[in-house]
Amino acid sequence: MPIRLPKTKLKGDPASMDLHSLLDSVHSRRDFLKIMGMGLGYSALTATLPGCGSGGGSGNPLPPITPIPTASLEYTALKRTSFGVHRDALNVIQSMGIDAYLESQLDYQAINDGDLENTIQTLFPLTTQTPAQLLVGFPDNIAEVAQQMIAASQYRQIFSQRQLYEVMVEFWSDHFNIHLVNGLGPTLKPEDDRTVIRGHALGNFRDLLGASARSPAMLFYLDNFFNLASAPNENYARELMELHTLGVDGGYTEEDVKEVARCFTGWSIRFPDDTSGAYGTFNYIPAVHDTAAKVVLGNPIAAGGGQSDAEQVLDILATHPSTARFIASKLCRRFISDDPDTASVDAVAAAFSASNGDIKTTLRALFAAPAFRDTADLKFTRPTEYLAGTIRALAPDTAYPTDNGQLFFFAQGILGQLAFYWPTPDGYPDTQSYWANTGGLLNRWRLSFFSYAPFITAFDVFQIDYSNLLGGANTIATIIDALVNNILMRPLSSEDRATMIDWLVTETGVGENESLPSGVSEQVAPGVAAVLISSAYFQLR
Amino acid sequence: MLLTDRDILVCIFQRGAADGLNALVPYGDTDYYSQRSTINVPAADVLDLDGFFGLHPALTPIKPIYDAGDLALVHATGIPHGSRSHFSAQGLVERGVDDKAGPTTGWLGRHMSISTPASSSAFRMVSISGNVAVSLLGADEPLAISNLNEFGFDQDIIDSGYPAVLADLYRSSVPFQGPAQAALAALDELGAANLDAILPENGALYPATVLGNKLLQAGQLIKSNLPVEVICLDSDGWDHHENLPNYINQSLTELAESLGAFYTDMGSRMQSVSVLVHTEFGRRVAQNASLGTDHGTGSLAYLLGGGVNGGQVVSNWPGLAPANLEMGEDLKITTDLRTVLAELLSKRLEGADLNTVFPGFSGPYSAGVFSN
Repeated sequence: MPIRLPKTKLKGDPASMDLHSLLDSVHSRRDFLKIMGMGLGYSALTATLPGCGSGGGSGNPLPPITPIPTASLEYTALKRTSFGVHRDALNVIQSMGIDAYLESQLDYQAINDGDLENTIQTLFPLTTQTPAQLLVGFPDNIAEVAQQMIAASQYRQIFSQRQLYEVMVEFWSDHFNIHLVNGLGPTLKPEDDRTVIRGHALGNFRDLLGASARSPAMLFYLDNFFNLASAPNENYARELMELHTLGVDGGYTEEDVKEVARCFTGWSIRFPDDTSGAYGTFNYIPAVHDTAAKVVLGNPIAAGGGQSDAEQVLDILATHPSTARFIASKLCRRFISDDPDTASVDAVAAAFSASNGDIKTTLRALFAAPAFRDTADLKFTRPTEYLAGTIRALAPDTAYPTDNGQLFFFAQGILGQLAFYWPTPDGYPDTQSYWANTGGLLNRWRLSFFSYAPFITAFDVFQIDYSNLLGGANTIATIIDALVNNILMRPLSSEDRATMIDWLVTETGVGENESLPSGVSEQVAPGVAAVLISSAYFQLR
Repeated sequence: MLLTDRDILVCIFQRGAADGLNALVPYGDTDYYSQRSTINVPAADVLDLDGFFGLHPALTPIKPIYDAGDLALVHATGIPHGSRSHFSAQGLVERGVDDKAGPTTGWLGRHMSISTPASSSAFRMVSISGNVAVSLLGADEPLAISNLNEFGFDQDIIDSGYPAVLADLYRSSVPFQGPAQAALAALDELGAANLDAILPENGALYPATVLGNKLLQAGQLIKSNLPVEVICLDSDGWDHHENLPNYINQSLTELAESLGAFYTDMGSRMQSVSVLVHTEFGRRVAQNASLGTDHGTGSLAYLLGGGVNGGQVVSNWPGLAPANLEMGEDLKITTDLRTVLAELLSKRLEGADLNTVFPGFSGPYSAGVFSN
């Protein structure tokens, strides 16, 4: 059977896509797929082994029920605390143990990420600029700011050694979500990302909350910049309690929403026409602050407190038991399962309260919970984990992409989880019921063809070394075993192994233990890799 | 061709709490003008419907549908769930309940799970979205497809055996087996349907917007030979806390142009299509400091279709005087949205078991919005 490789370039080079139209279209929605009409078509994506029958017998009766073999504890710990298992990280955690590995990840500042950060500063300089600097090019620079912010986020998720830190950055980015393309947002969010989210991701919750409350990006996004004593705007006050601290069932009333809004009157920003030249900085305006007394969750806030009214509110909220429970529930949902057990949530909430919101201490309690230690495969990975995990598994040694991240940007657009692009303040969902649907799976399958990167021009911006992944395997059986070992990094069931062997034997007409001609293994490998990262094994954590 | 006597249902959820008062303007209520002194729609600008209510001028494209008797408007409606949280309220409304203790499945999902399937197609229920609408939860694997024209593999991929291997790997009892198998089945059906060749008819011109594109696809699905029964899609961006006059003009323009194009495109098919447009709650009656409005209670629902008793505003108008407002500040709900949904199901979709679909809701089950 002849083996043919795809040679032609994909129709519609992604790099030629008009970013402005992309961003225009996503301003009001989180659905990018229509753009792909200009983008990734698959006519050229001929698999390596075309035209030979129907494959692995889908018409046969279903085999007996065989659950997917459980992944190792080390694999699971990595998959839950990173953007995908990387070969080197797996080696490290196997040699030093889970506890020592996680402790080293918590001490993220001791991990050298200098090369990555230098690269990001060079490639994506707008991510380092202040609101005043970004205002100079605004609004013409909106698309460029968005592209650089997203690409920097993706680079860090794929390439950072500080994987747990980046997981927490994403967690808090969702928790304190701000839609980037939202009025003045493109000039304000980059600094919020640096100083609020990245500055406190593994710090103290009260500090993080306080920084977010004063963040011009947040004050603008949730309208508090225009919250006046004469006509309060409740938007921030409500989301502060519902989404940032207490949770919707955390015990506040509509009256509390109004009272908190009054406490935050006057918390504003310096606008583009500000004569002091301090555009985009926090600005408390006493003249529009409601100076009368308030009551928040039963706590009196004395009249005349001025700017301290809201600081008192933040103290009340940060130390409220509902906040501890809400944050603990979200962390357990992130790191364990969609419906975490009460014991884990209790332990994490207790650690949060006892440590006054120290995030590292809180995470240590979570990592010690039996449900974190002893379970596996309880969650469907989110799209950011799928894309970064694909690169980390297929191309562990790749250099930075030669297209400055354009391909990954568009891929993430297809998958529907571009950083800073969730329009509403609740952040991207973290449950399987949202992500594990027909379209979501199909998009992952389409992007699994990244495995053909060595053979497709438009994908050839990162390097997959199949000879290394294959380790000399040159029969169908050994090819599958090598790629399971080196890409999936978790055991395949015997039934699924047999399914894949049957498929390749049927397609090639070569027996499973017969030696393939020189060079053919590398041609067979991308198809096997695509199936592996399309499978349930790869989606689970 | 339509395969059953039931209507095809198109549900459009306005995300973000769409304002009803500046869409269907109670221009005969003087309190409207005193509460919204600088963000109102002047009486001189509305498209008068009945001497009391008038449409925002941006809704001009749907005025002919109203005049033709195929559009009814239900004002002061919603589900009295008492929540002013977008996220809680959207969930409650999609679940069709007024209390969070109610079932976690969606109202449409419950209906579809007990109604006799018209076919075994993967396309019975489609969310034209990246996610399955919560209102469809509980039904057997609704599709979630962001763009129907981009859903698929080329023949070369199919010939390589890749989908067949996935079908085996995602066999029974494997996690995500349901959506994986539905996706594979949908691929086969969609490949045969050739949606790309189905063009707008009757001169329909869909706006080049997100909603316009989704309704264009809904039209393609309905005109194809795929036996679709329910289509859900979202209209985003209705949370107008600031500068409401400007933003609602944009939002209503997109909504009306999209609905108008869909109605034109459907032509006589509209006799067997029902379209429902609704939101999670309305907005505060009084304006805030940012020329917008905060979260409120009652709002507006739009019903389109040949089976709609159109050309009427259904409203037991509660009035906007402060004494008549919910919590002293919101438009009251005088027609429970579930009344409209129940009537829609029973008269147009052969829905019989309303107690299962709307547990805890004791009616009424009709507001005279639909004919049998």
